[in-house]
Amino acid sequence: MVSKFQPLSAFQQPLINGYQLLPFRFTSLDDHDYVLTNQAGEFIILERTTLEALVRHQLPASDWLYDDLKSKHFIIDHDSSVAMDLLPLKVRTKLQRLAEFTGLHIFVVSLRCEHSCPYCQVSRQSNDKLAFDMSVGTAEKALALVFRSPSPGIKIEFQGGEPLLNFPLIRHVVERAEAWNLAERRNLQFVIATNLAVINEEILDFCRDHDILISTSLDGPSDLHNANRPRPGNDSYDRAIEGISRVRNALGRDRVSALMTTTKLSLGRVRDIVDEYVAQGFRGIFLRPMSPYGFAVKTKWFKAYDADEWLEFYFIGLDYILDLNRSGYAFTEFYAATILAKMLTPFEPGFVDLRSPAGIGIAAIVYNYDGDVYASDESRMLAEMGDKTFRIGNVHRDRYEDIILSDALLGPIEESFAASVPMCSDCAFEPFCGADPVFHHATQGDFVGRKSLSAFCKRNMSIFRRLIKLMRNDDDARRVFVRWANSRC
Amino acid sequence: MSRALVFSSQVYSIKTIKKAAYRCSDVLSVDIIPRSDEIECILHFLSEPKEEEQVQRIVAAFRNEVLDQDLRSVIAKETEATRNAVLAFALSKTGLLGGE
Repeated sequence: MVSKFQPLSAFQQPLINGYQLLPFRFTSLDDHDYVLTNQAGEFIILERTTLEALVRHQLPASDWLYDDLKSKHFIIDHDSSVAMDLLPLKVRTKLQRLAEFTGLHIFVVSLRCEHSCPYCQVSRQSNDKLAFDMSVGTAEKALALVFRSPSPGIKIEFQGGEPLLNFPLIRHVVERAEAWNLAERRNLQFVIATNLAVINEEILDFCRDHDILISTSLDGPSDLHNANRPRPGNDSYDRAIEGISRVRNALGRDRVSALMTTTKLSLGRVRDIVDEYVAQGFRGIFLRPMSPYGFAVKTKWFKAYDADEWLEFYFIGLDYILDLNRSGYAFTEFYAATILAKMLTPFEPGFVDLRSPAGIGIAAIVYNYDGDVYASDESRMLAEMGDKTFRIGNVHRDRYEDIILSDALLGPIEESFAASVPMCSDCAFEPFCGADPVFHHATQGDFVGRKSLSAFCKRNMSIFRRLIKLMRNDDDARRVFVRWANSRC
Repeated sequence: MSRALVFSSQVYSIKTIKKAAYRCSDVLSVDIIPRSDEIECILHFLSEPKEEEQVQRIVAAFRNEVLDQDLRSVIAKETEATRNAVLAFALSKTGLLGGE
């Protein structure tokens, strides 16, 4: 069957009152103003009356916003229609990561852990090495799948439990991946996500020899960290700090990063937490809410605070971090920086949780200790709670094509695509946001979720609004934000 | 507790009102009753507002949302061809299909 394009005239709208609207979305910023975004995510702020005049073709070319609207591709007129050439290029640039496909490959090498954190989202196990460690055979099969991904950059991340409890397997996977990569010639990176409690010289030597990055957990000052992350001896904090120091000495200062998780105990202490990161020499922090998976749900730690309480925590932290920057200490809040990269640069930073189409499977994929393949880290957390909705295959039984083209993967990606789901499809913040089918399945029982009830939506919308207001009202904040945005690209 | 609102069907479409009702579904459920030249909406408050001021605020938010949705429908209609053309350009020649 031959299909024909419509004639050129079908795409050329008449210029009513001198200009033609280009596609855009709008959402209220506050009681007076609206944020408008074009298809590429460039934005402008207008009052409601100006927005109405714009849409009704009543905005005169002499209006001081007219040229702004033209230069940001919200309208075209007789004078210039270059937007019709630039917009597709900008949209394509934003989408370029899609073509690269899966770059992050997570190996859950052991579910065992010597910590007993009540907010553990992966449901760690404390014993039975045979049952909860990944085998060499499973790792080999997983590696074969890793290199089927067309991505020019491959990052293999070892997770747990505590992955260092199965260090021999990490060693095996790294050496085999490097050998494999002699022919593949990908940009190959390794990360170990570890609490550092059992790190030793042998491991550090291996990490140095193989250029392995370390990602650890640091929840704040000693009392808070130890309360969140109990282990025998109540020395999690001391071990983490000593471990960070050892990694820096052995591998280099920038080879270790840290992540925090917000618990009820953290809520009033965001300044203390930021101070701890500064004291430990980190140049940024990712202020993360807890996720609704694993022991965090079972122990009710997840429900110990709501989205509003977390937002208050986050905004106090953001203001404090901005003050630090104003005082001359360059320090980044990484979640804001990721969003700002979307708002202020032509590029998509590729953060898995803020992508649409969702990043599950096509940006990150998980090979579990038992050989099952999951669409994301959160998917395997859900599986440990008995819900295997996002199990997309098994390394021993399924081919790459079966896994990547499985209904279990493509269904949620297609259904949750933000540009075509209720509310998101006409939300001005959609270009900055993402689809999170796993979160909405876990909290509302479907991949899309009703966004008016979604904590994901509430959190992100509030942050988008705050960042835009800060940029509009505070020149210092705007300068800091531009620097953050460009550092995330 | 509920409130009735009437919109002219000469001005607003059912689709516009449905979209507004969906967006406000965290605080309201809405019966939408089309008549010959008007659309009646019965707003049911999900949790009983304590003061009349709160009721007025929610009703005003719904009215404004109907206005916004109407404006969105105007934009969508005027820009549909351009939106499709931009996406077609942006997603062309990806190399995902043979012969590209």
